[in-house]
Amino acid sequence: MKKLFTLDRFVALFLIALSLLLSESVEYYGQELIAEITILAIFAMSLDLLVGYAGLVSLGHAAFLGIGSYATGILTVQYGWEMFPTMLISIALAGLVSALVGIFVVRLEGIFFIMITLAVSQMFHAYFLKNREFGGDDGMPGIQRLDLEAFGLTVFDPADFAKFTLIVAVLVYIGLDLLMSSPFGRYLIGIHQNENRMRSLGVPVEQYKLAIFIIAGMVAGLSGSLQAQHTGFVSPDAMFWTVSGVVLIMVIAGGTGSLVGAVVGAVIVRLLSHQISSLTEHWMLFMGLFFIAIVLFASDGIYGTFAKYCRRSRWWKSAGNSSD
Amino acid sequence: MYSDPTFLVIQTLNGLQLAMLLFLLSVGLSVVFGLMNIVNLAHGTLYMFGAYFGIWVYNLTESFWAALALAPLGVMLLGMFFYEILIKKLRNAPPLQQVLVTFGLIFVGLDAVRMSWGNLATSIPKPEIFSGSVLIFGEIYPSYRLFIIGLGILVMLVLYFCLERTRVGSIIRAGVDDREMVSCLGINVDLAFFGVFCIGCYLAGLSGVVAGAVFPVEPGMDMSVLILTLIVVVVGGLGSLKGAVVGSLMIGLAETYGQVFIPEYASVTIYALMAIILLKRPGGLFPARAVQ
Repeated sequence: MKKLFTLDRFVALFLIALSLLLSESVEYYGQELIAEITILAIFAMSLDLLVGYAGLVSLGHAAFLGIGSYATGILTVQYGWEMFPTMLISIALAGLVSALVGIFVVRLEGIFFIMITLAVSQMFHAYFLKNREFGGDDGMPGIQRLDLEAFGLTVFDPADFAKFTLIVAVLVYIGLDLLMSSPFGRYLIGIHQNENRMRSLGVPVEQYKLAIFIIAGMVAGLSGSLQAQHTGFVSPDAMFWTVSGVVLIMVIAGGTGSLVGAVVGAVIVRLLSHQISSLTEHWMLFMGLFFIAIVLFASDGIYGTFAKYCRRSRWWKSAGNSSD
Repeated sequence: MYSDPTFLVIQTLNGLQLAMLLFLLSVGLSVVFGLMNIVNLAHGTLYMFGAYFGIWVYNLTESFWAALALAPLGVMLLGMFFYEILIKKLRNAPPLQQVLVTFGLIFVGLDAVRMSWGNLATSIPKPEIFSGSVLIFGEIYPSYRLFIIGLGILVMLVLYFCLERTRVGSIIRAGVDDREMVSCLGINVDLAFFGVFCIGCYLAGLSGVVAGAVFPVEPGMDMSVLILTLIVVVVGGLGSLKGAVVGSLMIGLAETYGQVFIPEYASVTIYALMAIILLKRPGGLFPARAVQ
């Protein structure tokens, strides 16, 4: 039985409303932070498609973010393209590259998948680091933003740009939520839970994994394009493996296997590290203890554990929902 | 210069030296991985603590050998402590939780080192008898590097003997192969695992002390070896001594040759090598257990 108002969608609505309210009320720096976190949340959702739904733990996802960023930078700055077609091409390119990578890597499992995605992303990083044409290790400055005058938004106003990223994030969320509730998404979850069973049911497991790898790459490319527009700059640092590592930690901390969990992880980890580092220089110590505490006391991740208790609680059931 | 055989020999020795350090780091990690499926990302942190404990002991005793003897034991105690309070609880947890906890430990370890010893890079002075150099085909070569190679080979031989010729070794090999069957035979696999974990910590600490005399000792040195170590583990295959030996030799030599012969692609040599190997052999070269 399909329900329209799942807990995930309810929390997603709440988060969107909260960010919209905040984007009006906070100062310049806060608005910049909202845009940054929203872009990060899109990136985290794309990784959760792999980690939480398909069981493919990637430590090289930043490569596709970087490809989206570089495509946006190269096409607009060096070739003088308009931003809107550039964004579409950036997404398509990220998808194409992830298809080429995915064909080779999706048959690997566990730690081997982790390490090969790491290897691939480090090779992309090295390529852009060495390539003087695209700025080498200095990166590429001067990237413009999408013109949204037609919608009444001036994107150089940080509040309006934050709203723009929020709109994109909502569209991505709706799209991915529909995708994951579709038979395609159910197959993926089935593969994650018991690959051999799905295989013996005649499901072409590798093709499904490749498909989600490409979709995740495209969404990561979109977040990369947005990031390039936000900072006006792209450098090889964007695809270094630590970027992939941090977003993987965010997804795990938030709770894998639900898009909202990935978003919650991105928001909380980014805000916490921002807050703690402004209070003490030993922010790493507290973040480290925070991660350990999550596993010990909220083993399904922050949102995953919250959702578990909510679904068990009386008011959620009394609102006409089943416990699952 | 590249065709000069002496140059090649020197670079090969450099490669072997790196390979031996990687071997000390990866063998424990690989067997723990193979035996219990525990993903310990904090293994590099143990290496860093080995180096800092080494400096600490050296400052107290003025002796490299005291540092070499005591610091790895300190690292082993540290590892046992974290095993008892944390890792034990996670033995059956999903791998992602292990990733998050050990990643948290990396953060905690990094800040603990910064708080205790500061941010500046230092090093452990070399021992007197290995502070000079020797002549190899007319080239001057630091003798300490030969000491590292010798130590690595010694550890390899000792581990080989223990794994292949002793009862404990056969329990460990059988445990990697089929853990449930071994525990059905009334053998305490958890205890064997604990022993392997401790030895892995000890060797990580040992490599930290040894490396502390050639590489800078600084916060962040853990991350630079972590990736190399993980690459060795997956290239060699999980849980086998042979895999750790072959993997560390390949990666140590590839990294060194890459930096010398193709400097512009040095940063990708080992990644390319790993990618090729994993595409041909998805379970690494010599996994202890056949990949399903």
